[in-house]
Amino acid sequence: MRERYGVPLIVMHWLILLLIIAAYVMGTILEDMAFSPAKLRLYAWHKWVGMLVLFLVPLRIGLRLAESLDHRRGLTPFEVRVSAIVHGLLYLLLIAAPMLGWLHSSAEGFPVVWFGVLPLPDLVGKDKILAETFKELHEGSVNLLVTLVAVHAAAALYHHHVRRDGVLARMAPWLRSKS
Amino acid sequence: MKWLPHLLLLATLAPPAWAQDWKVDYGKSEIRFVIKQMNVPVEGGFKRFNVQAKFDAARPEQGQFRVDVDLSGIDTGSEEGDGEVKRPAWLDVAKHPKASFVSKSIRGNGAGRYTVTGDMIVKGRPRPLSASMVLTPQRAGGWLASGRFALKRSDFDIGGGEWADPSVVANDIDGRFNILLLP
Repeated sequence: MRERYGVPLIVMHWLILLLIIAAYVMGTILEDMAFSPAKLRLYAWHKWVGMLVLFLVPLRIGLRLAESLDHRRGLTPFEVRVSAIVHGLLYLLLIAAPMLGWLHSSAEGFPVVWFGVLPLPDLVGKDKILAETFKELHEGSVNLLVTLVAVHAAAALYHHHVRRDGVLARMAPWLRSKS
Repeated sequence: MKWLPHLLLLATLAPPAWAQDWKVDYGKSEIRFVIKQMNVPVEGGFKRFNVQAKFDAARPEQGQFRVDVDLSGIDTGSEEGDGEVKRPAWLDVAKHPKASFVSKSIRGNGAGRYTVTGDMIVKGRPRPLSASMVLTPQRAGGWLASGRFALKRSDFDIGGGEWADPSVVANDIDGRFNILLLP
């Protein structure tokens, strides 16, 4: 029986983690930054990385659905249920957070031109009140996403260090020697 | 009908060459612009401006246009931009509250199309500017003067220093106007 997920899914998992950390750090810096050319550049990169996450997540879900490894192996029914809820919410927020960012940008009257090359359509027209709503929903979804990523990471570390059951090693095969 | 030849002669000798001062319906007029920021087209405009249009509808080529824009009423598409663009590095609105365009010549290109050439004055710097303009007669009388013009912010020292990099804020400004002129 295989002990790890397929390489494309593993690459996608860690790549998306790096991208959301980058987008989160940039978004946090942007909040307190004075208006400057650097801020406009950072805004653009924040949006470009967010859109990359949005477009990669469906691919990742496709890879996950095609994965034959039974992730429930060795888990109690309670753990299976909790893990399904957390994973479901993680996927949902990985789509919702960048989507709400895109909606926010559209409502502010700033189209997204992906990597400065590909103009993406505006999802809504310019609307100040709507922009404020989407801004808050974007921030809320990001905070929830970050919280769930922490819960997810804590559970993975619990499996690795306490249960020593190889659950983390399925997604981080370089850790296998330890399990 | 002995007087008819005289009347015709009079008509050819004395064409109605009086230029009319047109009134402007500011509620239905606009001056807007698009400038790219990080290659993203961002639309802005001016809330307050004054247009003096003086021409004879039969020969607009001999007319004159003057446009004065109140720069404190600039809308750059975002609050952050509105605050920034009034600073000395950009428009320096405290020292130069107005930008003006004064036409010098109007060339007819047929079918109601014209090229208006003149001086654009921003931050006290006059630079030649030419705008394409279409005069469309309105059913209720009067004209809709609409058109486009292009200018480079570097020509007027708009946004120098740290903002000079055109890959962040483009050098090209794409202007559009719709001015409703009433008799």
